[in-house]
Amino acid sequence: MSDTTTNRLRILVLDDEPIVCKRLKPAFQKAGYEVETFTDSGQALVRLHETRFDIVITDLKMEGADGMQVLSSALETSPHTRVVVITGFATLETAKESFRKGAFDFVAKPFKLGDIIECVKRIEGEMRDGQDRTALRIRPV
Amino acid sequence: MKRSRIFRRRSKTVEMSVWRLQALFYNFKAILELNNTALARMAEMEQALGGEYIFDRPYLEDSVRRISSLVHHAVYCLNALTRNSYVSLYDRYQDILVVLDAILAGGSSGRDAELVMPLEDIGWELEPMVGIEAVCLSELGRHAGVRVARGAVLTAAGVDGLLGRALAGEVVGATREMVETALAGVLGGMRAEQGAMHIVGVRAGENFAEAIEDIPRDLFSVEVNIGQLGNWGGGADGAVAAARELAVRIEREARTCAGSLAVLMLIIPPAAVSGMARSRAPEAPELLAVEARQTGADKGDAFLMRRTHPFDLIRSKISPRPGGSRFADGRRATDPLSRSLGRGSALITPPALKSLAETAMALERMLGTPVEAHWQEAAGEACIICRVQPRPMHLEAPSGRQLADEMAGATVLVRGGQLVQSGVVAGMAMHVREDTPLESFPLGAVAVAKTASPRLTPILRMASAVITENGTAAGHLATVARELRLPAIFGMPEAMRLIPDGQGVTVDAGAGTVYDGFLEFLLRHGAAGGDLNPTDPEYRMLRRLLRFIMPLHLVDPDAPGFTGQGCRTMHDILHFCHDRAVDELAHFQERRPGLGTIRSRRLHAGVPLDVRVLDVGGGIDASAGDQARVDEVRSAPLVSFLRGLNRSSAWSDGASALALGDIIANLPRTMGMLEDGGVMQGASLAIVGADYLNLSLRMGYHFSVVDSYLGPDQSRNYVYFRFAGGLAAGKSRERRARFIAHVLEHMDFLVTREGDLVVGRLKLAEDECLRVALEVLGSLTAYCRQMDTLMRDDSDIGSIFDDFSEKFMRSFVPMKESAESVGTAKAVR
Repeated sequence: MSDTTTNRLRILVLDDEPIVCKRLKPAFQKAGYEVETFTDSGQALVRLHETRFDIVITDLKMEGADGMQVLSSALETSPHTRVVVITGFATLETAKESFRKGAFDFVAKPFKLGDIIECVKRIEGEMRDGQDRTALRIRPV
Repeated sequence: MKRSRIFRRRSKTVEMSVWRLQALFYNFKAILELNNTALARMAEMEQALGGEYIFDRPYLEDSVRRISSLVHHAVYCLNALTRNSYVSLYDRYQDILVVLDAILAGGSSGRDAELVMPLEDIGWELEPMVGIEAVCLSELGRHAGVRVARGAVLTAAGVDGLLGRALAGEVVGATREMVETALAGVLGGMRAEQGAMHIVGVRAGENFAEAIEDIPRDLFSVEVNIGQLGNWGGGADGAVAAARELAVRIEREARTCAGSLAVLMLIIPPAAVSGMARSRAPEAPELLAVEARQTGADKGDAFLMRRTHPFDLIRSKISPRPGGSRFADGRRATDPLSRSLGRGSALITPPALKSLAETAMALERMLGTPVEAHWQEAAGEACIICRVQPRPMHLEAPSGRQLADEMAGATVLVRGGQLVQSGVVAGMAMHVREDTPLESFPLGAVAVAKTASPRLTPILRMASAVITENGTAAGHLATVARELRLPAIFGMPEAMRLIPDGQGVTVDAGAGTVYDGFLEFLLRHGAAGGDLNPTDPEYRMLRRLLRFIMPLHLVDPDAPGFTGQGCRTMHDILHFCHDRAVDELAHFQERRPGLGTIRSRRLHAGVPLDVRVLDVGGGIDASAGDQARVDEVRSAPLVSFLRGLNRSSAWSDGASALALGDIIANLPRTMGMLEDGGVMQGASLAIVGADYLNLSLRMGYHFSVVDSYLGPDQSRNYVYFRFAGGLAAGKSRERRARFIAHVLEHMDFLVTREGDLVVGRLKLAEDECLRVALEVLGSLTAYCRQMDTLMRDDSDIGSIFDDFSEKFMRSFVPMKESAESVGTAKAVR
């Protein structure tokens, strides 16, 4: 899944607010990851079917397919993909639902750049340790 | 039967009093909590501006909604606390909220109606009305060592008024007469200026650089002689006629332009040499370019320099000049500048080149995109920046591999601290202190300091980054760094030791890391635009919103403008509510005579004082009985005060020994010395909470109030002290008041004194300072209880102060040494 030539993790970022993609992309690149960003969830879903990503970071509330649909689709296509949900409308209910559907983490906006990078590094660490979270996930009913 | 009825009536009075008192304190506590919550949210917005958070537009809308709701609640609580004494504060709140809503809707500010504005009055919040160039010139003018052209701007509203167009959403816009009157006012102020007036049409509205290709251009440009406008001659009269002619000229040009525009009116003095500085050379974007040309000459000089301090010259191209010709500085090329160096034939000197380079880099930081600055040389003085324009260009980011390799080989000097303003810069590190002379700091160096003192503000205006060992992202200096978009990390441990003076370093503020040497790929990556910067609409909206949320204008409670009407920001309203609430609490006994007798318990203070205590929550240990001991006191401010009050030397020395019998005899006695309607006849009253104290203290013939809050949020903590009265004649009482004022001033209280009344306030100091101040006030209360009878002439004030200082203020020494926080307190009180 990771870039075979560079052995770097591949991340897809989806947020309909361009400023979020604009800022996350160079930050992840600097941290040593391959990054693709999308502001349109339809295009992101197409891309998720074309290629596999190690990590998907998706907004929740968007025009068209929302974050929950992206989360489900990403895991269906690639069960090993870790999905991090970011949202400005964080409630206990949405967090619960995200985890129930298999999200790795749930991050409320605004968030610190360092926090999201730390979250990605945590995923990277688990992947390197060979932990397979899919067995632990509660699959959607 | 009759006795029983009386008893019941008295019981009812007591219940009512306690209920009202609890309501009083509930509202006070609510104001403190609302303050804390709102200020935390405001601080988060400020930190978002510095790049700390990833946020989007809905976050801005949500923040405004939440902060305004908290502020509205604070206004409500203040009115509940003061029996509706500040109803007009709702109107100010509403006015500010309307402005914030307008900004969220894409408007600029409450100053939309201004037609003509001097350059120096312009801030970021006005960009949609005046264009980005006016903002840049104005902001640049606030930098140390930078001179900009003087002038004014005819705003978008002014242009619309001139052209007879109504602003969007307005039924009636400005009239032509109004615009001419405003222009006449500006021309009147300019009549002493030398030089031609350049009138330039610039694009107003949002998004000065939406795309790389969208390079702003002048919509029109004409030059007029001020003195010849309307045959004015520049005298005191005739400015109106001159304004009419100027309006005609502007109208003629503006009619040819579509869309929203503003008009710059710049006075540009005549100069022999002029040119431009580009923060990125078009032919070599990794370098900075400066061009210089003699007026009327076809060819000039061209210089390419490094973009990092000390801006080394990489290449220069000097045009040949006739032998023996003199330059603008009066010298010939062969004239010596020093023992080994001649003047040379370059049009501009190396120091001026470096100054222009730093100016170009400061502008690039400010705008977040490469810039072009036009300059003119003023003989013997710094170059004057006349025009500033963004020049966006596509910058190739380094590949992941290049960056990874460079980072792998980089040496980290220090890591950690709090991000204040993100950005990647490189330069020579220079250790600075509060007293470092400004002229010794090299333009564009990286300032490294022990403490983020506000006194470093002038240095920040010359630095390319700032790193401190102490200080937080919420302090005054942090706000300045964000205003300047100066990469900054505060609270970086051992920065002074780990970053050697004079070392070349690369600062990655976002990552909280300082590297040894210049990391070219990291710098290129930083310049590729990943950070939040002014080309992002969210950045500019946040910056404009913060102008009406964060600044604190009401700093002096005794100033005439310290009123509800004087509030210009949400922070002003919060501060006003807080200050008035403290004032109400400090005076509640005399202002609320109807509160009646209060049920309370006696405090065995360990000194000859009859003190009653009313606990409003957590102030006294829950296991304490009707008679509380000192060791059962849990109220943090009262604990500190009692520690000072109980010092035996405060009771046994000097004046007190002489008149102790009288004092004891006078305790307790009525509090009617100063105020009518006292409630606790014969006793002092302490209203306490876990972090609150309101102590009304009667000592013989004087009366003092200590009001203090020492909660978890340091920024809201304070000590208020009021003292008045006395047994001696007026002059002697006044001497004691002067002595007390002197003690308070020594502890950095903000002090006012009128006759024998002394009022002192201490805020925004570190908790330890406030605790020690309370302890000193405890000792002071005992020490000076009848000092007035001993003070026979003014010379006694000094000697008694020395005695008191020696005995009780030694513990205050550490606080004076940490002048940083005290200085801050003074600056913003």
